[in-house]
This record gives sequence, C-alpha cells and structure tokens, in this order.
Amino acid sequence: MEKLVELKNINKVYANKNVLNNISLTINKNQILAILGGNGTGKSTLLRIISGIERPSSGEINYPNKNIKIGYVPERFSKNIRFTPSEYLYYIGMMSGSAKDYLTKRIDDLLLLFELDKMKNHRIMELSKGNIQKVGLIQAILNRPNLLILDEPLSGLDSEAQEELVKILVELKQQGTTILLTYHESNIFESIVEDTFYLHDGSISETASSEKESIKLLIVRNVNKSIFKEWDGIFHVEEKGNQLYLYVTVKSSDVILSRVLQLEGSIEAVSTVTLDDMERML
Amino acid sequence: MKALIKFSLHDYLRSHKYFPPISTFIILILIYYSYRPNPIIDSYAVTAMILYIISAWLCISVLSLDPPVQRQLMVLHIGGENRYYLSKIISVLLISIILTVYAFIYPIIFGMFDESVTLTIGLVSLVNHVFLSILGISIASLFSKIITENAINSYGGLALTIIISFAALGVYDALPSYLKNIVWIIPPATSTQTPLINWNGENVLDLYLFPFIWIIIYSLIVLYLFIKLAKRIQK
Repeated sequence: MEKLVELKNINKVYANKNVLNNISLTINKNQILAILGGNGTGKSTLLRIISGIERPSSGEINYPNKNIKIGYVPERFSKNIRFTPSEYLYYIGMMSGSAKDYLTKRIDDLLLLFELDKMKNHRIMELSKGNIQKVGLIQAILNRPNLLILDEPLSGLDSEAQEELVKILVELKQQGTTILLTYHESNIFESIVEDTFYLHDGSISETASSEKESIKLLIVRNVNKSIFKEWDGIFHVEEKGNQLYLYVTVKSSDVILSRVLQLEGSIEAVSTVTLDDMERML
Repeated sequence: MKALIKFSLHDYLRSHKYFPPISTFIILILIYYSYRPNPIIDSYAVTAMILYIISAWLCISVLSLDPPVQRQLMVLHIGGENRYYLSKIISVLLISIILTVYAFIYPIIFGMFDESVTLTIGLVSLVNHVFLSILGISIASLFSKIITENAINSYGGLALTIIISFAALGVYDALPSYLKNIVWIIPPATSTQTPLINWNGENVLDLYLFPFIWIIIYSLIVLYLFIKLAKRIQK
C-alpha cells in the first residue's frame, strides 16, 4: 500500500502536560480511518498535527507525496463569518490556487449537494449550526484533497445530513481521497471505517480492525496497579475495591492474563466489551 | 496571497471596524488644515505622525478579525503561516497607503499651503508617510490579538509604546551617557522630524537620510519578530 502520511514518535506537550506520547502511525492511500478515544485523549491535537496546522513538540511527520492536498474540518467551524457561503468558498478556493471557472461550478455543485443552494446569499453568521458545519465541510473538500481530516464531523448535523455525509465520504474514497476522522457516540461510520486507532491518555495502544467487540475487560486481584504502566496493549486500568479492571486489546489479552498469573495474581473475570461500553464505564 | 489580501480587505469593510480609525484620521486632517496658509514640510511631517498612530490602530483591528479556527484554516489553504501573516500586513499597508494619498492630496487640492508643492518635497513627504505607517503597523503587530489575547494589554501596551516613541528625544536627553544607547530600542517615530524641519526642501541629498533608513530596518526587524512569535504561539 502506498503511504500518504507517516508519523514517527510524535509528542505534544501543552503547559507541561503530555497530550501526545510517542505516537507512531502510518496512513496509507485510499482508506477510511478513525481515531477513537474519550474526551481529552488528544484526538483533535493529533488531527491538527497530521493536517500541518499544529507542530509536534518532538517527533517527525513525513508526507511522501510533497504535493499532498489536505482538507481539514475543525470540530467547531467559525460562526462569525461575514460572507455568504458562495463568497467565502470562492475566496478559500482562490487562496488554494484554484481556477475561477472551476471554482464557480464546483461551489454551485457542492452547495446543491449539501442543500445550501437556497441559502447561498445569506451570510454564514446567519445560518443554523448544522448549515455552518456544512460550509466547514465544503471548504475542506472544495479542492479535492488527497487527505481529508474530519474532527467530530457529525456535531450539529441532523440524522439526514449525517447519512448524506457518510455517502459523500464513500464517494470521495472511491475518487481516491483518504479519509481520517474522529467521532464518538455514533455508530454511523462503523460500516465505512476500515481501520481504527485507539487513543488513550495521548498514546495509541494498537490498530484494530473496526469491529464492535474489540476490547477485553479483565478483572484481576492481588496485583499492584503500578506494574501495568509499562505493559503494552492496555487502554485503561481502574481500581475498584480490591479488584483491578483492565481494559485491554483483544490481541494482547492472552499475554496479559498469563503475565498476571506469573505474578501470582488471580483472575476474577474476563469479558469482551465495545469501545462505547468502555467509555460509558469510565 | 492576493486572494487572502482581497478577503481581508473585504472582511474588514464588512466588519465596519474600519470606521473609528479612518474617520478619526479624516477628522484630524480636516482639523489640522482648518486654517491657512501652512508650511508644507512641517505640515506633512505632522500628518505623517498622525498616520503612524492610525496605522497602528488599523493593524490591531485587522489582525483581530480572524478567529483562531479560521486563521488555522486559512494558513492551511494559503500554504503557510508566513504567507498568511504577510498578507495581513500588506492588507493594512494598502489601507494606510490610501490614507497617505488622502493626507497628501487634500491640502494641495484645497490650497492649504503657503506655496506650491515641489516634486522633491512631495516625494520625500510621501515616503515619510509610508515609512511611518510601516513603523506603526510593525509595532502594532506585536500587540495584536495574535500575540496578546487580552485586549487591555493589547491596546494598553500599544498606547504606551507609542507614547514612549514620541518621548524618545526627551528620554535620550534625560538618560546618563552610559545608558543613552537604550534609545535604539524605542520606535524611531520622531527621528525624521528634526531632519525634515531643518531641510531646505531643494535637494534630497541635503536631507539627513539615516533616520529614514533606520525606520525601515527597525520595522523589518519588528515584523520578523512578529512572524516568529506568532508562529511559535499559534503552533
């Protein structure tokens, strides 16, 4: 598979707090990928770093294709834009170096597709939250990017628009666009996402294929919580009375269980949970 | 860059934030020339100083237009932060140039001078206006929302710096000889005033040119510092 972006040992520190720890991952061409994780796990920061908007504190980011075009949809698109969607998108297209004739037609097509054509003469600041989010989406796909990055693209969209967005993303993928997105509280993307990265406390634990049951919950006793800090494949450790709840990847669960036994710990229960379950329990 | 400059100017027009600085400038010029006749070189030296303050004000308001998310998207679309910040600075400079033209032409059209403006005096006066507006823009960029989030610090810091720049000569005289070099860090806003007032207006070579060159060097250093700082803060 052809590489589109490669991240090596990316770290990001904000006000002495490590937001991202040693992230290494490769994004290949023509895929739909998701980065999942709870609030404050560093998803948006990672997306901004991949898009080039933000710099990592350390580490390396490579784009093998030097002419890569990146489209980025922020979680909250600016509300206070004094232009109409047509004017705004025209300026954005011109900034990216698109030709005038191409832009005019492309903007009309996209406004029609997102059902904003009737509002094209209203200022963006006068539009509803959902329609503002749509303008945010259009600005990102206006110039047919190679890599489209969407940070929580569903926020503010009604269910109809959400389904429309899924269709558009599939179409874009068919046209050769790689899509990287984050989302939570929704399964609408599960049918189209091909690979998922799980982010927890600023670290990527593992790449797992997008299936609902991809996390094991191990309930163990007689083991010190601190030893798990160094172990691979662990999303989260929680202390409940004298039990430890370990949320681990399916792949590493057997290794973790045998190591717990070697340390003379006892295993109380093993079950499989979904990512949504895990987020609810935490 | 051309598209972002157009965008910025169009957005500034829609925001109506141009109204306070531009109307203040127009009114000040009208007041200044409320009686006639006026000496040419001295009058242009004063209007250039007014433009220095107004350009700083314009810069602060133009650089506060884009919310952070919008700024990030534009940097992505235009292909780099340097281009983004330079486009914004050029946008302010273009507005200042329009004001320069107004300040230059108004007294000529309405016959406010005691004699006619020669080509040499006209060119030097225009250059002085443009240079001082560049100085105002560069200083204000360091106090803009991009660098200083707090509006009180922003406007307060800029006002204080402008006041200090006007008092530079007084500060120089008051300082003991071993501290006089500190004056070099003060914006050289008044440095062209004395050479202009002492100039006979006949030959450019009779004019002491170093203050003009220093204004540009100083402004470029400050603008470089602004872009460096902005890139560091925004990332």
